[in-house]
Amino acid sequence: MQIAIASGKGGVGKSTITASLLYLLKDEYSFVAVDADAEAPNLGLLLGVTEWEEEREHIGAKVARINTESCVRCGICYERCPYGCIYIDEEGNYVVNELTCEGCNVCGLVCPVTGTITLEEVRSGVIRKATTKYGFPLISAQLDVGRPESGKLVTEEKEWAAKLMKELNLEHMIVDSAAGIGCQVIASLGGADVAILIAEPTPASLSDVQRAYKVVQHFREPAYLIINKADINPGFTGLEEWAEKEGIPILGRIPYDRAVPESMSMLKPVVEAFPEAKASKAIVEIAEVIKREILG
Amino acid sequence: MQIAVSGGKGGTGKSTVATNLAVALRKIGVKLTLADLDVEAPNDHILLGVELANEEPVNQFMPRFDYSKCTKCRKCAEVCEEHAIVTLKDGTPFLMPTLCSGCRACEIVCPVPGAIQEAFRVIGHTYVTPTPYGFTLVTGKLREGEERSMPLVVAAKRRAEEVREGLLMVDTAAGTGNTVSKAVEGSKLLIAVTEPTPLGIHDTELILQLGKLMKIPTWVVVNRSDLGDVGKVRELAEKYGAEIVAEIPYSENIVKTYVEGKPIVLTDYPEAEIFTGLAERVAEFLGGGE
Ligand code: SF4
Ligand code: SF4
Ligand code: SF4
Ligand code: SF4
Repeated sequence: MQIAIASGKGGVGKSTITASLLYLLKDEYSFVAVDADAEAPNLGLLLGVTEWEEEREHIGAKVARINTESCVRCGICYERCPYGCIYIDEEGNYVVNELTCEGCNVCGLVCPVTGTITLEEVRSGVIRKATTKYGFPLISAQLDVGRPESGKLVTEEKEWAAKLMKELNLEHMIVDSAAGIGCQVIASLGGADVAILIAEPTPASLSDVQRAYKVVQHFREPAYLIINKADINPGFTGLEEWAEKEGIPILGRIPYDRAVPESMSMLKPVVEAFPEAKASKAIVEIAEVIKREILG
Repeated sequence: MQIAVSGGKGGTGKSTVATNLAVALRKIGVKLTLADLDVEAPNDHILLGVELANEEPVNQFMPRFDYSKCTKCRKCAEVCEEHAIVTLKDGTPFLMPTLCSGCRACEIVCPVPGAIQEAFRVIGHTYVTPTPYGFTLVTGKLREGEERSMPLVVAAKRRAEEVREGLLMVDTAAGTGNTVSKAVEGSKLLIAVTEPTPLGIHDTELILQLGKLMKIPTWVVVNRSDLGDVGKVRELAEKYGAEIVAEIPYSENIVKTYVEGKPIVLTDYPEAEIFTGLAERVAEFLGGGE
């Protein structure tokens, strides 16, 4: 089974909860974990990974390059780039900003001097594999600064994870989705059997998770909700009302607890670092519900 | 002039800093427009307690084939970098709309006039919202199910340019991919909001790299500064020639005002002063840099 854990936007504790759930599920189930937040991966850190066993470069992003020698400075590329990624430098040369280029090749198609603009494949990032000290494997990725299409990186991560599942005969894939709702998240949620959404009781988090849920609905996946920092905003009932209206079962509520940030700075799942903390106890209960309701 | 507020990872308080800094700058007389370019999860309006207004759709080109004219030469499919056009065995092209980025490469190469017609679809919206704080908020919001945020960032930034008054302050998405560089592009100052936790430090390095690659002077605001080792952030900042300009300790007051959608800088809480101080430094920078 493939489970994706998503929140819409980062910062609501998704990775910490994921790390804790992985820790709690590891003895009874076999799985591969995937950190699909290629722009800011941190599951590896939270699971104490210090060394990667295998690293694969992902070459796949494309960026345009202009040969200044043959360019006649007509400016057509500059006018036609759909994303405004071509600029004129101090010497009057037309130059592609490689940190923003989407690699669509429109400039190359409209340039009147054949061969002046070439579309080149560049590294978009790396994908890594480690065996965590808890025994299960983790696949993680890191997008290079200024590269497009983190979604492709996530798709490749999941392909690698699927291969590992076969090789090692694992039952599940647990994907810690990226923030946002764009290509990375679509790649994270696509193909999942179940989505677990995490939100905190604030209007901003509600808005983010509602948007993530719309993406989940595209894939017609059953969704569940975990409410984190459940007690920081008494009086705010929007999250519960929304879940009820949409028929999204609530797996549990985790109270705000300073043990969580403290465990993060120790680079340990909170349930391992502070098993007696109130947040840990709540996560343990949620893990039980997940075992019963989802993993069976 | 334009400045950017960004941060490597999500949830560091980037939007809190952007909105409070905007309110604080306006309070000391700096005219500005705030642009929320976190198009996948725009939240500045929520933190400012305003409802998005003046909605405009962002229409994106997509090809529509006129099969009575199309010669099935497959050129459009070959040139599409997004592989959004699939062809049947005989060469008949079909579009998979969500993959299309609207770049028009297919239209450019199609040799048959009229075989590719212009169609559009709405990929999201931009908003121009007046706020009670004396500045306008421009927001870009990607439609759920759309994959590509770049066109929305471009459209929202363009609209912000049109309506801007004085300083343009952009609030970017998390991460350091190319939509973040697009949002930051053109800024004279990058304010990186970070956290001194081990996770935050990893991402801080990435955003500092981005600032360096883009050759933009970078300031660091350390949020939740008592939750980790600020010394580590300082080392990194030094390595990249950035300066730490503010440290914001973890504060229940900030959480409280955050959930209430009320800028803390307008309250009597002691944390308000940190933002006022930061605004003064930015104003000084703007004065010296104009
Ligand atoms: S490849 Fe596309 S995005 Fe890049 S510079 Fe050329 S036209 Fe612009
Ligand atoms: S279209 Fe070609 S020749 Fe014209 S400015 Fe661009 S690169 Fe130079
Ligand atoms: S507009 Fe660009 S992305 Fe869309 S189908 Fe044409 S070539 Fe492909
Ligand atoms: S390039 Fe034009 S003529 Fe050729 S297959 Fe595409 S639409 Fe038809």
